[in-house]
Amino acid sequence: MRTALPTTPLRLVCPWVVAVILAFAGLGAARAAEIRNVLVLYANSRLLPANVQYDQGLLETIRTSADRPVALFDEFLDVARFGGQAYTDTVVSYLRTKYASRPPALIVVANEEALSFLVSNRAALFPQAPVVHMSVGRSFLRMNPALSADIVGVPIEYEFSGTIEQALRWHPQARHLVIVTGASVRDRGWEARLRSEVPRFMERASAEFLAGLPTAAVLKRLGELGNDSVVFTTGYFTDGDDRSFTPRESVEAMARAATAPVYGPFNTFIGTGIVGGRMPNYAAMGRQAGEIVNALLDGAAPDSLRLPEIMPTTLNVDWRQVRRWGIDETSIPGDAIVHFREPGLWEEHHKDLIAGAIVFLLQAALIAWLLFERRHRRLAEQANQKQRFELAHASRLAVVGELTGSIAHEINQPLGAILSNADAAELMLESAADRRGELREILADIRRDDLRASEVIHRLRLLLIRQEVERQAFDLNEVVSEMASLLRSEVQRRGFSLDIQTAPTSATLVGDRIQIQQVLINLVLNALDAVADLPEARRTILVSVAVRAGAIAIAVSDRGHGIAPANLPQIFDSFFTTKPQGMGLGLSIARTIVEAHGGRLRAENRPGGGAVFRVEWPVADAKAKPAVEVA
Amino acid sequence: MNMTALIHVVDDDDSLRNALLRLLAAAGFEARGYASAGDFLLQPRPDRPGCLLLDIRLPGPSGLELQAALQEQGVALPVIFLTGYADVSSSVRAMKAGAVDFLAKPVARDTLFDALRRALAVDALQRAARDEARQLRAGFASLTPREREVFDRIVAGRLNKQIAYELAISERTVKAERAQCMAKLQVNSAAELGRLAERLQQLSGDQAEG
Repeated sequence: MRTALPTTPLRLVCPWVVAVILAFAGLGAARAAEIRNVLVLYANSRLLPANVQYDQGLLETIRTSADRPVALFDEFLDVARFGGQAYTDTVVSYLRTKYASRPPALIVVANEEALSFLVSNRAALFPQAPVVHMSVGRSFLRMNPALSADIVGVPIEYEFSGTIEQALRWHPQARHLVIVTGASVRDRGWEARLRSEVPRFMERASAEFLAGLPTAAVLKRLGELGNDSVVFTTGYFTDGDDRSFTPRESVEAMARAATAPVYGPFNTFIGTGIVGGRMPNYAAMGRQAGEIVNALLDGAAPDSLRLPEIMPTTLNVDWRQVRRWGIDETSIPGDAIVHFREPGLWEEHHKDLIAGAIVFLLQAALIAWLLFERRHRRLAEQANQKQRFELAHASRLAVVGELTGSIAHEINQPLGAILSNADAAELMLESAADRRGELREILADIRRDDLRASEVIHRLRLLLIRQEVERQAFDLNEVVSEMASLLRSEVQRRGFSLDIQTAPTSATLVGDRIQIQQVLINLVLNALDAVADLPEARRTILVSVAVRAGAIAIAVSDRGHGIAPANLPQIFDSFFTTKPQGMGLGLSIARTIVEAHGGRLRAENRPGGGAVFRVEWPVADAKAKPAVEVA
Repeated sequence: MNMTALIHVVDDDDSLRNALLRLLAAAGFEARGYASAGDFLLQPRPDRPGCLLLDIRLPGPSGLELQAALQEQGVALPVIFLTGYADVSSSVRAMKAGAVDFLAKPVARDTLFDALRRALAVDALQRAARDEARQLRAGFASLTPREREVFDRIVAGRLNKQIAYELAISERTVKAERAQCMAKLQVNSAAELGRLAERLQQLSGDQAEG
């Protein structure tokens, strides 16, 4: 769809430009070429919108230069308002007198009335000058005697039927066609033509003619129409009260009053509030006439010109009315001229939009990249975490492996007791005596031993299963006690004693208690390994829990030989070990776990001999640190 | 003297020890329990046939250490070890040191009773050997110095004449001493006397070794 943009600036500027050129041409005329005058005769008044457009088309097209100066003169016959032989004679005489000193080399007539006027009075009005007509109906030419060969132009044909057809197509619900015409001679001509063309629409709609009525009556009737109506009007020059209008003015009033869509055949109506119609373009007519003028001035013979048979009409439509009447936008053909369409955001700001889109895309790409990176990092972190979790678990398995003997002993003790008790009970039952009291005792013992065995298995299972990392509050005192019962047998086997000093108040930590227990087991086993060859009196390991002003500290101390100063800095490194069968992962994993719980693990030698490993949580971390993501 | 067997059960686990004592009692054994090696050593032990049911893992001195200590003291109670977790090195040590058996807890009744019976049989044999040796020594100790001189020479294969010459006594006296020896040692012939001398020598050799 093409969009007609307002041409106001051009209309203002062009006459001035031409005037200046013409003035210049006038000055140089004596020396260069003779100025050739072109007289344009308009049928109507100067301000008729169609006239303005003809004028604009002519000015755009007619070439003038120092070598070929052309002067344009306009005359407005105003035949719609004035008439009669006396008026005609006066005008003829006036024109003859006025242009005697500047005889026109060519005359342009706009509209049928101007053509009629000139043909009728040609003998008196510069008969040598060829004539170019514009805006003359083909039917008019056909109805009148053939024009002489030096009168040329491209005729037009107003598409009354084409416009009505289009209107009915856009308003499928319309069953009533209202036609408005005026009272002047010309208005009556249009009315006659319409009365001959309308019957062919009678199958689709009924017709109602508002012909030659006073404007007030017309507007009243138009205000009563329902949505099953469409209005077609040519506008009028004179109404039933003999009031004068330009057709555009009359249509403007009608469109404002009508409660149904209004259509018309003239493109000067665009902007008055009509929807549109199939219309010839007046500026195009002006340009076409201008081309003929140029050709003739250049010396072409009028009868040698090859001219189009007719001026084309195009569908013109007012976008605001399309919206108002709910016309399906997709039914507007692609070659229609759409007026007053709000330039879309795209048309008005496409550079900004492109820039915006680019910025947006860049930003989106950046965000996508950042998200990708984040995901990537999170996956890596998860993998890392998983690895640490596996490692911690593997280390627990290793610890349990080390404790196998002690654990088997701890489980087999109660199992052995159970079996022996059961055997004893069986033997008692075989004997004749009533030993119910003893049997009851035996059953109680069996139950107790069973629970004892399952307790060991439960503790072991907690250490062994690969459960997800927990994040719960727990009391470190309990963890220390549990650790002690798990290790009791092993400590005993190695000929040691374990001295446990829990804190009098609860030592709450948030995290995974199994992992913390693992740390403590590691530290105690480490101490056991480190002090294997001590005399009886020093074979003690002390584990103490202290809570001081919210800070928690666990110390695992032995009375062995201490840590060699050279080894102190690296004992927490992975794969550092002083034990022949050690992997060197225990302490490094222990530190990782403690740090993941917001704490600190360090080792030092005690002044009195022996090493001490301290796990410490400062106040804030012990209470508030919720995030323990690491295994 | 009470000659029924007495079984000593040393295990620090009260529950297990009680269960074992209960079972032994129900099976007609007489048994006593001790919570530790020290406990056992401090208790007076009547000289009765019996055996020791010993947990290998004990607080303080372990079962193996107790076994060694008893051997040092010449207490010849057969030992059956019980263990919650049989590792190879300690079982080897135990068997080398003369344990009758090495049983894993939980132990089936029949296995336990079999082991006990074997231990008691071992004990009975040991006791019989010990009684015989004691009798021999008592007989030997009752010989007068002159009788012992004659005995030594008989065992060495000398003839009466040679003995009389060596000891500068009459052949008749040698004969009288010889009859006295055989009566005191309850043998009927010189050959028997020789075997007895061999046995004595064996016993004293064992003692030197132990």
